[in-house]
Amino acid sequence: MPYLSRILNSKVRDTADVVVGRIKDVLIKPAAGKYSPLQFLAIKAKKGGVIYLPFEAVDNFSHEEVSLKLLFNKTGAVAQFPDGLVCLKRDILDQQIVDLSGARVVRVNDLRIGDFQGATCVLGIDVSFKGLLRRLGVSSLDFLDFFKVNFIDWRQTQPVKGFLKLNVVSNDLSRLHPADLANIVENLNVKNAQKLVASLDAEAAAKVFEEMDAEMKKALVRQLPPDQMAEILDKMSMNDVVDFVKQLSEQERNVILSHLKMGTIEKIRELIEYSNDTAGGLMTTDFMKVEPAMNVNDVVAEIKRLSPALRSLLYVYVVSPKDGKYIGSVSLRRILIASPTQKIGKLIKRYAHQATLNPNDSIKEIIRLMTKYDLNMVAVVESTNVMVGVITIDDVMRYLAPKA
Amino acid sequence: MVWFRKIYPRMILFFGVLGPGIIAANADNDAGGITTYSIVGAHFGTKMLWVLFLVTISLAITQEMGVRIGLVTRQGLGGVIRENFPIGWTLFAMVAMLVANIGTMTAEFAGVAAAFSIFGISKYIVVPAAVLFVWFVLYKGSFRTTQKIFLLFSTFYIVYIINGFIIKPDFAEAVGSMFRPTVEWTGGFMIAMIALIGTTITPWGQFFIQSYVVDKGLKIKDYKMEKLEVYIGALITNVVSFFIIISTAATLYKHGIHITDAKDAALALRPLAGDLAQFLFGFGLFSASILGAFILPTATAYALCEAFGWESGFNTNWKNGKIFYSIILSVIAIPATVVLLPNISLIKVMVWSQDINGILLPFILIFVMLIINNKRIMGEHTNKLASNIVGGVTILGIIAATVVLLGYSVAELM
Repeated sequence: MPYLSRILNSKVRDTADVVVGRIKDVLIKPAAGKYSPLQFLAIKAKKGGVIYLPFEAVDNFSHEEVSLKLLFNKTGAVAQFPDGLVCLKRDILDQQIVDLSGARVVRVNDLRIGDFQGATCVLGIDVSFKGLLRRLGVSSLDFLDFFKVNFIDWRQTQPVKGFLKLNVVSNDLSRLHPADLANIVENLNVKNAQKLVASLDAEAAAKVFEEMDAEMKKALVRQLPPDQMAEILDKMSMNDVVDFVKQLSEQERNVILSHLKMGTIEKIRELIEYSNDTAGGLMTTDFMKVEPAMNVNDVVAEIKRLSPALRSLLYVYVVSPKDGKYIGSVSLRRILIASPTQKIGKLIKRYAHQATLNPNDSIKEIIRLMTKYDLNMVAVVESTNVMVGVITIDDVMRYLAPKA
Repeated sequence: MVWFRKIYPRMILFFGVLGPGIIAANADNDAGGITTYSIVGAHFGTKMLWVLFLVTISLAITQEMGVRIGLVTRQGLGGVIRENFPIGWTLFAMVAMLVANIGTMTAEFAGVAAAFSIFGISKYIVVPAAVLFVWFVLYKGSFRTTQKIFLLFSTFYIVYIINGFIIKPDFAEAVGSMFRPTVEWTGGFMIAMIALIGTTITPWGQFFIQSYVVDKGLKIKDYKMEKLEVYIGALITNVVSFFIIISTAATLYKHGIHITDAKDAALALRPLAGDLAQFLFGFGLFSASILGAFILPTATAYALCEAFGWESGFNTNWKNGKIFYSIILSVIAIPATVVLLPNISLIKVMVWSQDINGILLPFILIFVMLIINNKRIMGEHTNKLASNIVGGVTILGIIAATVVLLGYSVAELM
């Protein structure tokens, strides 16, 4: 079965042996995760102009010349571009495309066309060096067959141009790990990256945003509409939002902030004052706090309720209901093995020295404390003992290896 | 420290906006730049200032086109070429860029070697050390900080401007020669002229400026600002070039000294720095070279990977980023090897590499012109007549000079 590069520009003949024109492009209906049957041939007519010929009229497609089953005037060819279709040459060939199986961005060197369940479909994309040689018309250079053809199954791809405009998004895209998706976004050009992020729902986009490198974030924030950006920021964890907002210019920051909720804005303005390498700058303000009088059963119910909104949940923090002062922490493990009616306040291990951080503590102090007391998560309390946030081991790792 | 917090974001904004201008301006005056301008002044006096004047306009216009393409397409030049030209032409353009960049990189290493040769340190020690240094910084990722440090260092060009005033050259004469086209019909003149053009407007500069506006996420509404910025950048670069040329013209040319190594070129700074001239020149040459050496390998690799869809970025592992890392390593290793060849003239390497850039430049500019005049790609932002004339004249001018140069080479062979 042929490659797209071989078909383009071939002559099209009808049953009366009249040359209708040459193939300019091939049209498919975009569908996610399926082999797409060919719908129309765009033909550069001999008389000039472009006509769109329904693919059912094609008899033989495998040769250098394409022959039709009918006389040309019976094929139902139209001069109008059929709605909702995507062109293989214009929108797919040579474009960036997401390889979902490999979680990477590739360029389409060629397309493999073949039969699937009785229909002629696009089966795979060729991203290999061999595909490049074929396109250049010098396949014969590789007579030793040194390079291997490397196909990506069409169903495992997410084309960007054309597809996203028509909102055709593969389910597998949202099934990728946010870190992989972030990597893909970073490798797309800014135009395509914007389209891809815009096609995700706010929650997925927020996760991707958290994983993206700072430069790409900054580029995207200028491309996405502010209200959509605000929606994404709203779903991100507070310390990621703050880190990000910090890097924007004052003007851009104000535009973005004006689209957020009042409470969020205040919180961000407060946290923004802390420098990046202090506990205040690294901490997240999303954590699980409970009152000492609650029993374990209620705490578990509360954990279930809040869990989706929290990034990590290793400890439950007990704070005073009156003034928000820190009382102590209880690990999930202790909660799991405690009796359901036990008061949570009673589960706190009491030590003479309280292992918490102050917002102004340096990264050195954070590492020292977490290492000394073997903590995966530590509470940050102000000098008045009011708890303001937590630092997890992830935050520290992210600080130490920012590029990973 | 309230005042600092108040001022600091403003400073960031200032540098953020002036970014591409300052970087492009400084990086343009790299090893090949300093050497070429020095030679132009030392060997031909102020005769070539009219070329510099025209090149300033061409630089401003071509960089502006790069900015506009970037703002509209929101992708790098490699990607735009790949998506809009037959694949054979894409390959051609990318190979032209690769060759030009390898040439420029060779000039950077030659610059490092020449700078240290002033202090009597062998290139066999310096160049391998520079290779390791560049690779280490790129791979370990303190690229940003390092870049800033060397940008700061490379403001050393200001000394040429001060020097230019101390010499008290004939400014009226110099300005006059900017508008008085003079041509010596010799091979040497053509070589220097093409190098002068090729070191000022470069294929990589065209790729660089476009990627810069794309990666910063700038939009078409930022166009006016960026345009102004690019014009200022072009002006700054060439004011510096102007002063390098008149400095060497007033010192070396007057006394008939030809530049054969870096020490000769350093003589031009004597009026300002006296016995420190050599040290100052060596330091400037080194920081200019190493700044270019940081930018070029990655810029080349990103552009090629963008055009051909290979995985790129320092966060990819070796297996997936094989091609990306291989390109970077080649763009470091091949030039370093060339510079290490025994008996090679470092000065000639620096000038000839600029000639390669100059000769390849028209091809890249033709792509730029075809793209920017294409309504399908640029929509309403296609070129105005004036830009097309400047672009066209630049392309034809370089091609004509190249043909004349070829003519001389053939004549000399016969």
